[in-house]
Amino acid sequence: MSSTTASKTLQAILPGDFSKEDFRRAKLAEIDASCRTPVLFFFVSGLLWLLAGTLFALVASIKLHTPGFLAGWESLTFGIVRTVHLNTVVYGFCSQAAVGVAIWLMCRLCRVPLVAPGIVTVANLFYNVGVTVGIGGILAGDSTSIEWLEMPRYATPILFVSYALIAVWTIITFRLRAERHLYVSQWYLLAAVLWFPWLYGTAQVMLIVEPVRGVVQAAVNWWFAHNVLGLWFTPIGLAAIYYFIPKVIGRPIHSYYLSVLGFWSLALFYNWNGMHHLVGGPMPAWMITVSIVASVMMLIPVLTVAINHHSTMIGHFGKLRHSPTLRFIVFGAVSYTLASLQGVLSALRSFSEVAHFTHHTVAHAHLGMYAFFAMVMFGSMYYILPRITGREWPSNALISVHFWGVAIGIVLYVVVLSAAGLQQGRMMNDPTVKFLDVVKFTIPYLQIRTVSGLLLALGHAAFVVNFGWLLVRMFAPYRKPVVSILTGAEIASPSGK
Amino acid sequence: MSYGPLLFLGILFTLASSWVGLVLMPQRQLGALGQHTDTNTAAVYPQARAGEAQQGAEHYRALGCVYCHTQQVRPEGYGADIARGWGRRRTVSRDYIHDKPVMLGTMRTGPDLTNIGERQSDYSWHYKHLYNPQITSAGSVMPPYPFLFETRPIGPMGPSTNALALEGTFAPAPGHEVVPTLRARQLVEYLRSLKSSGDLPEAPVKKEEAQ
Amino acid sequence: MPVITLILLGSIVLLPAAALLSLRWASRSGQLGRFDRAALLPFDEEEPVGRATDQILGDNRR
Repeated sequence: MSSTTASKTLQAILPGDFSKEDFRRAKLAEIDASCRTPVLFFFVSGLLWLLAGTLFALVASIKLHTPGFLAGWESLTFGIVRTVHLNTVVYGFCSQAAVGVAIWLMCRLCRVPLVAPGIVTVANLFYNVGVTVGIGGILAGDSTSIEWLEMPRYATPILFVSYALIAVWTIITFRLRAERHLYVSQWYLLAAVLWFPWLYGTAQVMLIVEPVRGVVQAAVNWWFAHNVLGLWFTPIGLAAIYYFIPKVIGRPIHSYYLSVLGFWSLALFYNWNGMHHLVGGPMPAWMITVSIVASVMMLIPVLTVAINHHSTMIGHFGKLRHSPTLRFIVFGAVSYTLASLQGVLSALRSFSEVAHFTHHTVAHAHLGMYAFFAMVMFGSMYYILPRITGREWPSNALISVHFWGVAIGIVLYVVVLSAAGLQQGRMMNDPTVKFLDVVKFTIPYLQIRTVSGLLLALGHAAFVVNFGWLLVRMFAPYRKPVVSILTGAEIASPSGK
Repeated sequence: MSYGPLLFLGILFTLASSWVGLVLMPQRQLGALGQHTDTNTAAVYPQARAGEAQQGAEHYRALGCVYCHTQQVRPEGYGADIARGWGRRRTVSRDYIHDKPVMLGTMRTGPDLTNIGERQSDYSWHYKHLYNPQITSAGSVMPPYPFLFETRPIGPMGPSTNALALEGTFAPAPGHEVVPTLRARQLVEYLRSLKSSGDLPEAPVKKEEAQ
Repeated sequence: MPVITLILLGSIVLLPAAALLSLRWASRSGQLGRFDRAALLPFDEEEPVGRATDQILGDNRR
């Protein structure tokens, strides 16, 4: 509907001899422009939360090897600052980046401009109010201490309304699509926006509003917490990978059939995974076993996606040198495979006996959320931002600092903590080793983690400076060069309209 | 190939399957789990927490203790939980029926606390440990909680009875004393109340050890 | 919890049945044919297959 109206307006204002290709180009630009305000809002506020989250992460990291650091500040005690870090990066940064990318991708693939973008902008403002209230609540001591759901009950309804609004708007865009055929990215996006409000609503009702009894809370908690990753972040990350790899290298995905298999096997198996976080815990064995089985079945979607993406990339690895988007996205895609394989391994009883309750799990979480998801979001932003603002990235050097800072930082983080976690687990399972000796063993590795955190912070700073610079250029008056009619040379660049 | 409705149904049904399996099923199986009454001794287990300890649970939640301390004992032969003395038996679903929220935890930066009340019942140990863990456990990475204590000048009546016995570098300035605040007292009551060792049919305590 | 039991039993029957019916409907109305053409959807006349985008680093700097 709206796309026809939009096309009519375009045709009406354009000269009669406007060629088909020019019209197409104008249409792509029109779609990008329609997303500009809401997507910028989501990206800008997301990055501000990323900076805050990075700062909290550094404080938490330092505290874990130097417990006296800032010890007098109650709001910054480890249990709180670590929680604030998780909530700022997950709900502040990752979710907002995800929504920005999802909206832009959906419009592009549906080939329609975003209708009433103001509504999405309002959803963003709501969302940020919700996150701010939630983070403030945690700092003030109102954390629920339910992992991934720490925001107090007075903040979460605001977030829920915002999520629902975003879901409705994505579905409306989907219904109004000008391109009837569907691409695999759209499936993932549609699934994510439908799944998340359901997950969040169930978890809020059963854990916060009317808590269920005893360990049923743990079951609901991990059903939710694992699915936030599996059914919200992963689908949006994969949607971006499925779009950007073909788009950047200019070659369709290797096998569309494999992508179909990958989607449905993920949809079937991922949501049954959650109870593997409770291996050895006080739960009936069937719950844990069913999740371990589902976790192993995840090999199907993961290997399918890995083979498909790798086969698409073959012969095009040289393009990694020239495209920041491709660098970040391919880094994320490889990390997705590794994180999933590590996840399958960690779900097994024999492995979990050692690795559960150690820094191995922390490393795994960062491999999934950062090395996979955040990297894919960075890559998507490098592609989307120039197109919605109409400006080039101001500094290639800053792009390189960003990439190498975070790439080296996160590899160091994951490798060191994964290995240290395994040794920590072995020592804990040996009752002759004193617990304090296990603690002392981890300290040097926790110090290395702080170093890697500084590298990540450096990368983030470079990205934010580049982004800010791009925004300054966007708002600066457009300089139209004045060209001499006689010689064709540029004679002046006055500022003005 | 415009299979929108098919896609929509598939998306809903896949999540519905695990919502039924991992949310409704546990609720059906465990949602009404109650206390157990021992037929011989008429002892009822587990007991709900008393007021002070329940207040303390709120501080445990607010300060995020759960991110470094688990409250679950894995079965004999799976990990070294029992060998380390963290419990005499594994914990089971019934141990947690009074907990809101349930704080099982997923990380052991510090030791498990399921039975800390049984393992360590000394008030002054807990106060010193919370005031600065280095006093009782040198080399620990647990943060100190000075804000749960009040450092004040010693009054004309002499030191308070509940002042912490601090020595060396941990001692306050001369003429001052460190006393626990209400929050510290409630938190310690909670920690002392942590005992999951009742004899249950589904998790019997080994007889020779239970004596 | 008889209500929950009812939902559980009902869903065991209903979920697979609905899945099978919708698959049957989809394949009968021809919605499952010629899947792989969808792989071309990210491309259009402006940015066709074969044209790389986002080549902004290194020698290709504009």
